Amino acid sequence: MSVSVVQNKDERAAFDEVFLPHLPEAYRLAQWLAGNASDAEDIVQEAALRAFRGIKNFGAVNARAWSLTIVRNTAFSWLTKNKSRTVVFLNDLSAAEQQELEYEGLHGARIETPEEIALFKADAEEVQKALAQLPVQFREVIVLREINQMNYRDIAEITNAPIGTVMSRLSRGRQLLIALLGDRR
Amino acid sequence: MVASLRDNDELQLNAYCDGELDPVSANEFERRLANEASLKARYARLLSLRQAVRSLPQLEIPASLQARIKSSLDAERSSNVTVLRQRSWSFQALAAAVVFGAVISSSVMMTIEQYGQRENVTNQVVAGHIRSLLAPQPFDIASSDRHTVKPWFTARLPVSPQVPDLAAQGFALLGGRVDVVGQDPVATIIYKHAAHTLSLTTLRPGQSVSEQTIAGYNVRSWSDADFTYIAVSDLPSTDLATFQRAFSAAAPAPEIK
Repeated sequence: MSVSVVQNKDERAAFDEVFLPHLPEAYRLAQWLAGNASDAEDIVQEAALRAFRGIKNFGAVNARAWSLTIVRNTAFSWLTKNKSRTVVFLNDLSAAEQQELEYEGLHGARIETPEEIALFKADAEEVQKALAQLPVQFREVIVLREINQMNYRDIAEITNAPIGTVMSRLSRGRQLLIALLGDRR
Repeated sequence: MVASLRDNDELQLNAYCDGELDPVSANEFERRLANEASLKARYARLLSLRQAVRSLPQLEIPASLQARIKSSLDAERSSNVTVLRQRSWSFQALAAAVVFGAVISSSVMMTIEQYGQRENVTNQVVAGHIRSLLAPQPFDIASSDRHTVKPWFTARLPVSPQVPDLAAQGFALLGGRVDVVGQDPVATIIYKHAAHTLSLTTLRPGQSVSEQTIAGYNVRSWSDADFTYIAVSDLPSTDLATFQRAFSAAAPAPEIK
């Protein structure tokens, strides 16, 4: 039947239109989630295949968020499957640790004085290392915000979290990074 | 409650850095930044962190990966169409395919445009809800008395909805605010259910908005003769359905004005 040929051609065209333009960004996201280039390649290839198979489900709203959602989810299942010691998920931690990380102050209730709040100078390698140490749920919101430069709404969609959670994770993640980079002295 | 105040500051600081505060809140926050040294120092530190993260070297996508993706899709496709491959392509089929493709893409565009408009209204309503949660309080007029809220709306808007208090059904009236959707000021009633805030925005009747989740907020919409209602909350959609039933049952017949 020629109709299914058409559909097939169409799916490929849709894929080229929807997913392909975001490939460089997809690669960047995967790279920062996985922590290295070769894993990122595997993740992106797998995500591309998933996107192609699911292109019919694309709701014609936000191609960028849709594509990055697939990459993010692929990266997550990939990371869980090929878990290395260096990757920390929030659910690896005890309930108390999770609670502390997500909701409680990092420096206790002490308020820093303006003099204590120094600008930090860190080289790229140190920042990269600190970023890699963050639990994935914090790292992903920071990467989506700073590297992919997505807004809160899209980050919430991609990470499948309420916007309030995105906001608190961004804030926590940044505080964690600052603490990590401050400690190295 | 020093800790939670600080937390709130931290969230606002982050939202301000990310350009996610509405103009009024941003303005307020800038005034605080100018006056509070420690806030200002934290702002500067956040910017220097951003600078550091954004200037990290980024790898370019290798050309070999693009080629690999392409060939894996080709493989995927040929496994799907092996049966079809045996038939030879005719020019007629090809021509039909082109026409069919054109029809599909134009109807997709129309759908996208229609969707875009509805989407836009819903987005604006949800944005109003989110903004209100970031503001010091989610309402312009605070009152659990419907006889205060209703006249407040009537004084400001050409049409105003009924404002039933649904405390008995679990949704306590908190107050009201005026949102702007498109260019129109519209009435939004705010309810509280447990610790959750629910915004009910009232639009011109006859608009259809599907049940959906935007930015983690559930959206439910229904219409009566006078208004199209859009309820937005982080409550589960079943609670929104309960709310709709309670509201529809409680809203008395329109008064004669």
